[in-house]
Amino acid sequence: MSESIGLTARHSASVNAAAGQPLLELRELDTDIALRRGTVHALDGISLDVAPGQTLGVVGESGSGKTMTALSIMGLLPSGGRVTGGQILFEGRDLRSLPTDEVRRIRGVRMGMVFQDPLTSLNPTIRIGAQVAEPLRVHKRVGRAEARDRAIEILRRVGMPRPERIVDNYPHELSGGMRQRVAIAMALVCSPSLLIADEPTTALDVTTQRQILELIDDLREEFGMAVILVTHDLGVIAGRADRVAVMYAGRVVETAATEQLFQAPRHRYTEALMRALPESAIRDSGGHDRLISIPGLPPDLSGPLTGCRFAARCSYVSDECRTTDPSLTPGAHQHACLNPVPTPAVAATGPVPAQVQPAAEPTQVEPAAKPARVEPAAEPVTAAAPELTESPVLSVRNLVKNYPVHGRGLLRRAAGQVSAVADVSFEVRPGETFGLVGESGCGKSTVGRLSVGLERPSAGQIVLDGTDLTDLTGRERRRMHRQVQLMFQDSYAAMNPRMRVDAILAEPLEIQKVGDSSARQERIATLLDQVGLSRRALERYPHEFSGGQLQRIGLARSLALHPRLIVGDEPVSALDVSIQAQVLNLMRDLQRELGLAYIFISHDLSVVDYMADRIGVMYLGKLVEIGPAREVVRAARHPYTQALVDAVPSITPNRAATRDGTTIRGELPSALDPPTGCRFRTRCPRAADICTTEPPLVGGLHQVACHLPLRPEPAGTPTPVEAVG
Amino acid sequence: MARYLIARLGQALIVIVLVTVIAFLILHLLPGGAARATLGKEATLEQLAAFNHEMGYDRPLIQQYGMYVQRLLQGDLGYSYQLNQSVLEAIEQRLPKTMVLSLLSTLLAVVLAIPLGVLQAIRRNRWPDYAITALSLLAYATPIFFLGLMMIILFSQVWPILPPEAPQGFTVAELFADPAGLVLPTATLAIVTIAIYARYVRSSMIDNLNENYVRTARSKGLSERRVVLRHTLRNGLFPVITLLGMYLPALFSGALVVESLFNFPGMGQLFWQAALKRDFPILLGVTVIISIATVVGALVADLLYAAVDPRVRLRGSAT
Amino acid sequence: MSTLSEAVGSVEPNDTPPRGLWRQGLTVFCENRLALVGLGLFVLLAGVCFLGPLVYQTDQVHTDLTAVYLAPGEQGHLLGTDGVGYDQLGRLMLGGQTSIIVGLAAGVLATIVGTLLGAIAGFFGGWVDAAVMRVVDAMMSIPSLFLFMLLAAIVTPSAPMLILIIGAFAWLGPARLVRGEALTLRSREYVQAMRGMGGTGGRAVRRHIIPNAIGTVIVNATFQVADAILYVAYLSFLGLGIPPPAANWGGMLSDGLADTYSGHWWLLYPPGIAIILIVLAFNFIGDGLRDAFEVRLRRR
Repeated sequence: MSESIGLTARHSASVNAAAGQPLLELRELDTDIALRRGTVHALDGISLDVAPGQTLGVVGESGSGKTMTALSIMGLLPSGGRVTGGQILFEGRDLRSLPTDEVRRIRGVRMGMVFQDPLTSLNPTIRIGAQVAEPLRVHKRVGRAEARDRAIEILRRVGMPRPERIVDNYPHELSGGMRQRVAIAMALVCSPSLLIADEPTTALDVTTQRQILELIDDLREEFGMAVILVTHDLGVIAGRADRVAVMYAGRVVETAATEQLFQAPRHRYTEALMRALPESAIRDSGGHDRLISIPGLPPDLSGPLTGCRFAARCSYVSDECRTTDPSLTPGAHQHACLNPVPTPAVAATGPVPAQVQPAAEPTQVEPAAKPARVEPAAEPVTAAAPELTESPVLSVRNLVKNYPVHGRGLLRRAAGQVSAVADVSFEVRPGETFGLVGESGCGKSTVGRLSVGLERPSAGQIVLDGTDLTDLTGRERRRMHRQVQLMFQDSYAAMNPRMRVDAILAEPLEIQKVGDSSARQERIATLLDQVGLSRRALERYPHEFSGGQLQRIGLARSLALHPRLIVGDEPVSALDVSIQAQVLNLMRDLQRELGLAYIFISHDLSVVDYMADRIGVMYLGKLVEIGPAREVVRAARHPYTQALVDAVPSITPNRAATRDGTTIRGELPSALDPPTGCRFRTRCPRAADICTTEPPLVGGLHQVACHLPLRPEPAGTPTPVEAVG
Repeated sequence: MARYLIARLGQALIVIVLVTVIAFLILHLLPGGAARATLGKEATLEQLAAFNHEMGYDRPLIQQYGMYVQRLLQGDLGYSYQLNQSVLEAIEQRLPKTMVLSLLSTLLAVVLAIPLGVLQAIRRNRWPDYAITALSLLAYATPIFFLGLMMIILFSQVWPILPPEAPQGFTVAELFADPAGLVLPTATLAIVTIAIYARYVRSSMIDNLNENYVRTARSKGLSERRVVLRHTLRNGLFPVITLLGMYLPALFSGALVVESLFNFPGMGQLFWQAALKRDFPILLGVTVIISIATVVGALVADLLYAAVDPRVRLRGSAT
Repeated sequence: MSTLSEAVGSVEPNDTPPRGLWRQGLTVFCENRLALVGLGLFVLLAGVCFLGPLVYQTDQVHTDLTAVYLAPGEQGHLLGTDGVGYDQLGRLMLGGQTSIIVGLAAGVLATIVGTLLGAIAGFFGGWVDAAVMRVVDAMMSIPSLFLFMLLAAIVTPSAPMLILIIGAFAWLGPARLVRGEALTLRSREYVQAMRGMGGTGGRAVRRHIIPNAIGTVIVNATFQVADAILYVAYLSFLGLGIPPPAANWGGMLSDGLADTYSGHWWLLYPPGIAIILIVLAFNFIGDGLRDAFEVRLRRR
């Protein structure tokens, strides 16, 4: 039934004798997981297939069963997990009916798997070479010396520098990206015909992600193997897969050739998921529209479910949806939707009906009182940059933060220092969103923590409303906290698990001694309304809420003291796309209502692009580029920014297709001993002699710290009123 | 690694110094002080004063501590008038025998506890796990002398195959001349140790079996046997090495009771008899020596751990 | 773990009425059968020891040399008599009172001292921490039984003295534990969030650190009590326990050792079994409490 559409020459090498017959076929696979509180039906009738040389993308949000599908194939289900029905046909034989030893051999030789977290997926006490060569030694009885040679060879193939030395290293001596290469080498050492990659790049930075995805692509072509790429990221799939299967709540809801799926999704869930992406809002309107969010949460898979599993959250739901269990339509483009998106391309701009409030979820967080939520043509929120003359809420000047590194000796003498933030200056104006992007370790979170006064800078000023925070002490400093509040990535970790929500929300008021107890109660009630939570939340504990709800509570707490600025440190990074859209919309609504300013810190350029008015790009403690959001993303001046932009996976076909563009090489240097001059020069494709001197941050509205910028600043931009840096 | 070594050595040294301070202070807490402790209750005031002056006990406390350490460094732990023997000599006679008892029982415990703990971990929450857990808890809750007595009743009365008393004699060689006599004391001391080690091995193995790298190993099509033996066991057992060090104080406390019960001529018995006779020079000397043995043992265990586990071994050089 | 939670998916706060954490903890504790057994055992033993003498009255002051070594059942002595004519059952009750009181008091004392010092070390950090922890290291390297015996040889042991001696040196474990707990809690994000609102260190300790550390402390306290009961037994066995006519299970057991070969089994096994049961009881309770304190915070 698998008729690959739109993929031809790319893997002609892979067409072998078994052409036309799938390498792996899942038929009506059911998987259960037994937990303390009952049995979760993680997979329900999954049917998928993948042909040799083909890449199948499996995409879904958390709880959709995508990882369970991969683990079921590999026979690696967690304890309590069991495949309860269906077939796993590998090269025509059902793995479920084969003897254990045979299956294990197939798994070791014919299949390979790469896991999400490269930091924990390798055995910390066995040398790289031994781990990579282990399948050869066990399954092919290869001798020690030959195994070592083969390990070096495959490590070289996956782009590992100096493989003959790396084989004798231990995993913790390598960076995350390098470890993932080791994991891939290990999976490929027996030349398998199927590679399963479960979120192989989720734990990696975006530039590294790109390298790894390209590597997998190249290896697929070279080895002619089939690849199953499991991910939550639609953009990753769009650029790499031949076919895509979209999963929701333990089911495949839609499957089609990649191009077809992204151009004309049929299932309402797929459509909604794509529209919830920030890049969709930017692309469709060219402006900063509200995101189309998906209300509610996926269903609990431990109970009996009737009808379409997406019905409770679907805007197009009909009575039939709630009672009839839809099955996949036949054909090349299969979907299981009773009210599918009409074909063909009208869907993308089709009208959106009024939101239907799902009745099944009593603590549903979307307040009915906000019908404005689904107006795609809502007014541009902050399209125009705020007036330059307005005095900034926050002004950061020449900020420096160094962390001493202690020796482990008796006296713990400082053995050096990590340069986390090096001479960073920027301003945030009232009502503005300032985006701060960069990869892990670039110092963006430290800037956030310094801005809210959680840490003290080593040098520089943080001026809030005209007063320098670094001068303040005691009570004044405490009062300052009213003005700036921090919003955390993981709100669960940021709330005392033993406090009820009412106590959590009252805490900032108590600390700042605002009002009496009845005034506080009133304020808390207002806050709950503002973030769209019901009063019933007050008596509950944090662990009873989902990620999106917790983020709302976190936001409510940040708002309690009427701050003028909220610093969000990766506030939506832990959330699924559909929930992320809810929270982003809420943040924008509140900004408009209350005139808040945000510093929005994220590694995800597309989210920052959507949220921010201006963007600052950080690399290794330095601000390398700063300017209006649209310009920074679409007309980057710094090579690093361009590399970041190019590396962001996108569902837009023409962007996804580009494989050239700026690629950066090598590994992030240590912040303990950063490169002299331009800190990016060690990895920059344009680096020249001049780069050994430190480039200043120069320009008008769109500044860049680069001797050899990619493009000049567009003419006619005024120089800022106040020279910064 | 070198830096770690120096740091760990320094820490051990500080601890040993503090141990001597504590011992010194206890000596001075005694009613009548060290003189009464040494000379006994019958000594006259004049005798006490003379002794105090001779030993420097009438000088300032700091100075006295300096002298105490000085004597300690020279191996002078005092003199037991009751045994009519220098403390060092008494300890030199007994210490090797206690070490033999401790080492034998530790060896026995390790050899038995590792397979038991591993079995528990791989059969987690099934009957072998429950059975071993129940027995461990029982062993832990039973006073060690009661346990020893049960062993005596069982193996030298009901089923008389082993002597109820430890071998006597001055030298270690004499101990080994009667190996049957070593069985019950060693086994008694080992049982509680087995219970504690097995519990630790179990949880360490379970932690490791839940690690992602185990899933990776399984994805390579390895047999369960290989997954456990080649991948998990090493990592699970590394921390056990440090447990050997941490458990030393409890082991010596256990040896004290076992030696008393089986009349085993070691440090514990020496200490016990000294306690009953209020022979303070012996009590303090043994306390200091046994504490130093503990510190050194823990140090060796830590260094061994650092040497075998690459995660620790390479930490110093990597960054 | 991550794969598991992914499979489970998000769950709405269910419709059940909100319950307090204490009640949730109680439910979990009660689900643990061993913990209930432990609690039952403790209630039973304590009940017999403290209320039993009201029903089963015996003379535990005057020796009766006309009725020594009576076998159980003879002359109305349910568990016989010992070498000086004390009724064994009555003596078990009396001894149990001492064992339980000394164990509880010493365990609680050690916990309080240890918690305070550990919290101070963990919260202030720096040299205070270094100083306290080095002293803890030093004292921990002295095997505790040696230390107890040394002190018991100096002072004449009585029940309050034993409590002081054991309490004064058993605090090391709790101190280490609480320090570690304070160190981790101090860096938790919710403490940072509170500081971001302008909260003080005092508030952090009051509202966040203590409520979250208290579970660990209470669980540890139960194990301390179990250990203290064993220590009292060891000291008695080694001849440095509470001298007669006072009684405790450890002392009775070591007295019974002398009768091993004479066939007076009722002097040996009952106190031995009593000690095992009470130590087991506290261990079971501790395990159950640990579950209760942990599980109620489990997400999903």
